[in-house]
Amino acid sequence: MTSHGKAVDVVVAGGGVIGCAVAYFAARRGLDVTLVDTPKRGRATSASAGGLWPLGESVGLGCGVIFAKAMKERCGPEATGHPERLPASFLDFALASNALFPGLAEDLRADTGMDVELERTSLLFLMYDDGDVAYARALWDDYPRQRKYFEWLSPGQVAAAEPALTRDVRGALRFLGDDQLNPYRLADALRAGARVRGARIVTHTEVTGVARVGCRVVGVETAGGGIGCDVVVNAAGSWAGQVAAMAGVQVPVSPIRGQIVCTETLPRTLSACVSTTDCYLAQKKHGEIIIGSTTEDVGFDTGTTAAAIRTLSAGAIRAVPGLAHATVKRVWSGLRPGTPDELPILGPVDGVTGYLNACGHFRTGILNAPLTGVVIADLLAGGRPSHPIEPFLLSRFQLPGTPELAPAGAGGSRA
Amino acid sequence: MSALSERVWPLVVVGGGPAGMAAATEAARAGLRCLLVDDAPALGGQIYRQLPAEFAVRDPGRLGRDHRRGERLRARLVEVGDRVEVRSRTAVLDIVDGRRLVCSSPEGTEWVTAERIVLATGAYDRPLPFPGWTLPGVLTAGGTQALMKTMRVRPGERALVTGTGPLLLVVAGQLHHAGVRVVAVLESGRSAFTAGTAVRAWRQWSLLADGLRYRLELARAGIPVRYHHSVFEAHGDGGLSSVAYGPVDPVDWRPLWQEQQRVDVDLLVVGYGFVPGTDLCELAGCRTEYVHHLGGWVPVRDATMQTSVPGIFAVGDGAGVAGALVAVAEGRVAGITAAEQAGTIGAAQAARRRGRELRRLRSLASVRRALDEISYPRPGLYQLATRSTLLCRCEEVTYAEVSAAIGEGARNLSALKLLTRLGMGACQGRNCAPSTAAILGAETGIGYPDAGRINPRPPVRPVALGTLAKGDGGTR
Repeated sequence: MTSHGKAVDVVVAGGGVIGCAVAYFAARRGLDVTLVDTPKRGRATSASAGGLWPLGESVGLGCGVIFAKAMKERCGPEATGHPERLPASFLDFALASNALFPGLAEDLRADTGMDVELERTSLLFLMYDDGDVAYARALWDDYPRQRKYFEWLSPGQVAAAEPALTRDVRGALRFLGDDQLNPYRLADALRAGARVRGARIVTHTEVTGVARVGCRVVGVETAGGGIGCDVVVNAAGSWAGQVAAMAGVQVPVSPIRGQIVCTETLPRTLSACVSTTDCYLAQKKHGEIIIGSTTEDVGFDTGTTAAAIRTLSAGAIRAVPGLAHATVKRVWSGLRPGTPDELPILGPVDGVTGYLNACGHFRTGILNAPLTGVVIADLLAGGRPSHPIEPFLLSRFQLPGTPELAPAGAGGSRA
Repeated sequence: MSALSERVWPLVVVGGGPAGMAAATEAARAGLRCLLVDDAPALGGQIYRQLPAEFAVRDPGRLGRDHRRGERLRARLVEVGDRVEVRSRTAVLDIVDGRRLVCSSPEGTEWVTAERIVLATGAYDRPLPFPGWTLPGVLTAGGTQALMKTMRVRPGERALVTGTGPLLLVVAGQLHHAGVRVVAVLESGRSAFTAGTAVRAWRQWSLLADGLRYRLELARAGIPVRYHHSVFEAHGDGGLSSVAYGPVDPVDWRPLWQEQQRVDVDLLVVGYGFVPGTDLCELAGCRTEYVHHLGGWVPVRDATMQTSVPGIFAVGDGAGVAGALVAVAEGRVAGITAAEQAGTIGAAQAARRRGRELRRLRSLASVRRALDEISYPRPGLYQLATRSTLLCRCEEVTYAEVSAAIGEGARNLSALKLLTRLGMGACQGRNCAPSTAAILGAETGIGYPDAGRINPRPPVRPVALGTLAKGDGGTR
C-alpha cells in the first residue's frame, strides 16, 4: 500500500481538454501538477467539432436547435420547437473564455510550436421557414447588449457570402466572434504546454480510488500506485461522476451522446460555420466538413445509428446541396458530460477539502476550457477566481442525500 | 429487388471471394438460407475475379488455373442457388450489436439483421514506403491484377516487379502474357524452391508445383528473378520513368546502397504481401491479436472459425493471410458450423464434414508456414524511406513528421494519429499503419502488438453523403 504523504501539489484526474487546460494554467502558476489519464471510448474532446460559439451555444444554436426540432416532432404542439437559452452568467463566462483564445493560441505556439488552427469563421443560423425567422427575430430583440455581434443577412446576402448554401432560405443570422479551432490540437497543445511548464503527464493510467483523511482528500490511487497531493481536480468529463464518487462526492454528470458525420477533405466550400434546425456544418482547416449532431441519453453507448446518420446527412444536403456527392470518410459519436441545467460544475464542494470540480461542460468544453483552466488555477494558487464561478458551484443542485462524506472505508477511500 | 431488411437472415456472408463463396455454399448445402453480400460487380474476390460481361473470351484456356478454380467454386454455389441470395455491388459499412449490418448499394443504405455472420472480407496489399512510392506508374501487385483482370488494361510497357512471395511470379507472368516487357523480378527473400521447403511441403505438393510452374514460365520468357534484391527508389517527373534497385542484406533485408543500379521502366509493381482486412471484425467487437506470420492483426478464433463474438465467424485472408486454398477450407468450416448452430444439420454430420476440411487445413499449414518464413517482410526494408518520404499518402504525412511526433513522446499509432493526422484519411490507416508500426519499432524498440491499431470507424468503405441520406427505416 502506497502512503499518501504529499508528493505533488495537484493531481488532475482526466486528460481531455479541460484536464489539460487546468494542468497547463496550474503549471504556469508554478504549481507542481500531475495529470492522470486513460483513453476512454467516446471522450468528447476527440469527438468534438471544435466550434467556439459563445453566443450560438448560449441561445441554443448548434445542437440545441436540432434537439428542439426533434422534440417538437416527437411531442407535438406541447413543445415550443425553440431551444432553451442558457442564463446570462453562462454567456458572460463563455464570452470571457472565447476572448482568451487568440492569446492562448500565441502562448501555446511559443511554448510548444503547435498550431491550434484557430479560424475566424463566424456562425450563420440559416432560416428555412417562419418558425426559424421568428426564433432569429426574438434573438435580435432579446440580446440588445450583444447586437454588435449580430448581422442579419437577406437571402441575396446569404448567396453572396456563401455560394455553396441552398438558395431556398429566408435569410440568415450571423454571429460574429463565434469561430472554430481544431479541438484535439488544442488538447494536445495544452498537454504539451503543461509538460513544458513542468507538469507530469501520466497516460494510460486509470484513477482507481481517491484517498481521504476525514474530510480531506489527500491523493489518488492509480493502477500504477498512489499519488499524494494537496488537491485533486476532477476533470473526468462524462466519467466525472465516477471519480467524484470515489471522493465521496455526488456530482450529477451523465453522458449525452452526439453523433457526427465527417466528409473527406473537400475544396473550400464554406467560410462560416452553419447552424440549421437539422444539423450544423463546420468545414475544418484541412477541408473536411463535420456534420453534427444528436443529443441522446443512452448511457456510455458510443455507437452510431442509421436513423441519426440519415437525418444528419439529409440535413447537410438540404443546407449545401452539392454535398450529396461528397464522400463520407467517417461517422462517430462522442459523450458530452451533461448536467441537469446544462451548465458546468466548477470549484469547491461544501464539506470536502482538497477537491475541486472542473466538469459537466456538456456542449462547450472546448470553448470554456481556457477560462475553466484559469479559474481553477486561481483557486489552486489560493486566490479568488478571476471570473465569478458562484453560478457553477455544485451547491446549486438540491441533491438527494447528503453531500457529507460517507464513513471512512466506503466510497473508494484507501486512506 | 426486394428489400433485404424485411426479415432476419439465418446467415449473412460478407465477401464474395473464395472464403465467402465456400461458406455460403456449405451452409446452403447443409440446409441454411443465406445472404451473400459482395461489393464487387461479380463474385470471385480478388483472386477469382471475373471478367466483366462486356468482354468476350475466345480462349478460356488462357485465363489460367486460378480462373478454373474460381469457376468450380461458382458452379458449386449455383447448385445450391435457391438457398443463397447474392447481392453484388453492396458494401457493408458497419456492424452494430453484433447482428445488424449497414449495407450500402447504389440504391441507398439498408439495415440487414442476421442471426449469424461470416466475415470473409479479404486482405489488402501491404504498402512499403520508399522514395517515389506514390508516383503514378507505381502499382501494388493486387492493384495490377485488378486492372488486368477487370479492365484488361495493360498497365505499362516496360515493368519491374519487386517484393516478396509467390504472387510476384504470378503477376510477372500475367504482365508478360499481356504483352508487357518485364525486365526483372526482384525477390527480397530467397528462392522457395529448395530441398527444405520441398520436404515440409510434400503433402501439398500442388501448391509448390504452382509456384514452380510460374517460375519455369518466367525462365522460358527470359525474365530474370533476382533473389535478395529490392527497389530502392522510384524516379520520375509526374510519372515513373526509372527505378533504382539493388541487393539487400539476406538476413534483415537492409538495402546495400553501394551496389545500386538503375533501370528505365514506366511500371513498377510492388508486392510485399498482404494485410488482413479486419475493420468489420473490430467494429463488430471481435477480439484481435497480433500474429506476424498471418500478416498482422487478426481476429481470435476457435477451431470452427468462430470469433470471440458468438455467431460471428471470420474466414479467409481477412482473418489471416494464407491464400485461397486455406480460405476455401476455412469458409466451409464456418458455413457448416453456422448450419449446425441453426439446427439444419446434425452435430455428427457437421463434425464429419468439418473434419475433412480441418485435416486439409492442417496439411496446408505446414507449407504455408514454410512460405511465410521465406517471405514475410524483414525490418531492414523500412530503411528505404527518407525524411521526406510520405508514410501516410491520404494526409501527406512524412517520415520526418512521424519521427518528430515520436520525439514528442508518441509511443503508439493512436498517439501518432492525433499528433500528425496520420491515418485520418479515407483509407483509415490501412496504407500507413503497418509501415508506421514498423518504423516506430525501429526508432523506439516498441513491438507491433504495443504499437496498437488505428481504430476503424464506420463507414469502412467510402460512401456518398447522398447515399447515407437515402435508405430504409433503420428504426434503431
